[in-house]
Amino acid sequence: MGVVGIGLVTAVLAPFHDSVSRAAPALLLVLPVLGAAVVGGRTVAVVTAVLATAAYNLAFIPPVGSLKVDVPEDAVALGVFLAVAALAGTLVAREIERRRQAEQQRAEITRMHAEFQRVVAQREQLAAEAHRAEVLEQVDRQRAALLRSVSHDLRTPLATIRAVASDLRSAAADERREDLLDLVDDEATRLDRIVANVLSLSRIESGALSPSLQATDIGELVAHSVDRLDRLFANRAVHVDVPEHLPLVRADYSQIDQVVTNLLENAVRHTPPGTTVDVVVRSTGETVVVTVADDGPGLDPGLRDSVFEAFRSGDRATSGIGLAICSAIVDAHGGTIGAGDSPAGGACFTFTLPVAH
Amino acid sequence: MTPQPAAPASPSPSLSPTDVAILLIEDDPGLVRALESGLAARGYGVRVATTGRAGLDAAAEDRPDVVLLDLGLPDIDGIDVCRHLRRWLPSPVIVLTADGAEDRKILALDEGADDYVTKPFSMPELLARVRVAVRHRRALSAVVDADLLLVGDLRIDVAAHEAWLGGREIHLPRKEFALLALLARNAGRVLTHATLLRQVWPERQGDDDTQVLRTHVTVLRRKLGLGPLRPRIVSEPGVGYRLVVDD
Repeated sequence: MGVVGIGLVTAVLAPFHDSVSRAAPALLLVLPVLGAAVVGGRTVAVVTAVLATAAYNLAFIPPVGSLKVDVPEDAVALGVFLAVAALAGTLVAREIERRRQAEQQRAEITRMHAEFQRVVAQREQLAAEAHRAEVLEQVDRQRAALLRSVSHDLRTPLATIRAVASDLRSAAADERREDLLDLVDDEATRLDRIVANVLSLSRIESGALSPSLQATDIGELVAHSVDRLDRLFANRAVHVDVPEHLPLVRADYSQIDQVVTNLLENAVRHTPPGTTVDVVVRSTGETVVVTVADDGPGLDPGLRDSVFEAFRSGDRATSGIGLAICSAIVDAHGGTIGAGDSPAGGACFTFTLPVAH
Repeated sequence: MTPQPAAPASPSPSLSPTDVAILLIEDDPGLVRALESGLAARGYGVRVATTGRAGLDAAAEDRPDVVLLDLGLPDIDGIDVCRHLRRWLPSPVIVLTADGAEDRKILALDEGADDYVTKPFSMPELLARVRVAVRHRRALSAVVDADLLLVGDLRIDVAAHEAWLGGREIHLPRKEFALLALLARNAGRVLTHATLLRQVWPERQGDDDTQVLRTHVTVLRRKLGLGPLRPRIVSEPGVGYRLVVDD
């Protein structure tokens, strides 16, 4: 391009080399050098400058048409022209180069920034996936613990029923027949309670617990539950204290019956024979408070906070799904439930239900 | 734990249930009622403990003839109770385990339990195990000394490396002899695969391949044959073997 420019300038101005001053072609011949610098860079600019000098000499410095120089001033002028053209070309080329590098750097930075954002997003996604996996694993562990706990709970009464049923066949059972049949009956009822708890648990998990609330006489409910569990209290004393004129509560009868049953059974399971269990019902005006207290060994302080959580893992002997169900049912009724120490030093479970207006 | 050498137990040639004191360590009230009533009805003396701690105390006080031990106790792990009992009580310990707890069963046997029953079990099953355990006590007392073992019509002279079946000598290579002597020394007890391998093949340490054990048991069974008073090697699938004599 530089060469074409030089040719053009030379061709256009050469016929007028006598009439134009020497400065005009010199200035115009610098332009192709600058152009070559922009396009081709430094080396091309210098080569173009040399060619432009040759063309200037050839077309405009006497003797025209030859590379000879007559006068020393012309030699100096040619030298200055070459120097200026080469310098200008070099400077322009360098500037252009610098700009290109800056642009490359900017592009590089933009690319790296995008890459960085992609990596950050990827890491966030991985972290979220890891978290999800962790949650799933925890759910899995809880499920396994639940299964273990439920099958342990189901198997215990089954072991008794199997031992008794096989014993009933022998002559050695003749005199104890009534007693053994009572035992089978008790254990079958216990199995039924466990199955009821498992069903409730699955309802709680699927969010289908929704109690059908009706005005309920909780005093009557408590008395009835205690009556029904009569044989469970064979070696224990149970006292029920319900005041007269107790306000009705808004409750699902069968669900609250399950709560009372679970609390009573819990008291029996975790206390030695001879223990006294007190069931007290009181009204505070806005709520009715039901307390089940015993004078047994009391709650392990370490378990007090987690006693309502289903299937604490690592828990060997007890399953505690009954208490977890109590908590979920009372919550669904808009009440509260808690565990603590009884005045007699045993365990004490208290739940409240809102009064029906 | 390593199977004990024949401990000199008090000779009690004709143990009827009334002479046998059973300690039942179990926390479930229903099962306690069922077992206590069933065992007492057959004349056994039964004492109940509902925690591991109470069980250890009762064992120290009463020195029961047989211990029935639930592995899932509320206070102490049943395996630990078993280990404690083994330190000073020579009486057989039968563990009551839940189905599916194979590892715990084997652990209990390795900690010195003599036998196990898996819940849910039938009363006749439990009574049979108790009878075996009582006979096992008697079998121990029938061992003349550490070198002479008598199980049914099998007589083993350990020092002389001789085994006799009803007066006829049987020839056993070294490993077969060691295996039979170990089973005879612990007649009635379940010995786990690991215990048998460790005792008979100490040079194969760490190798828990039971194939060699199975092969030797098969050969021994053929050599023992069948007959009244003839001891049998009974498999406890997935657990181990025991030597028993039928009544």
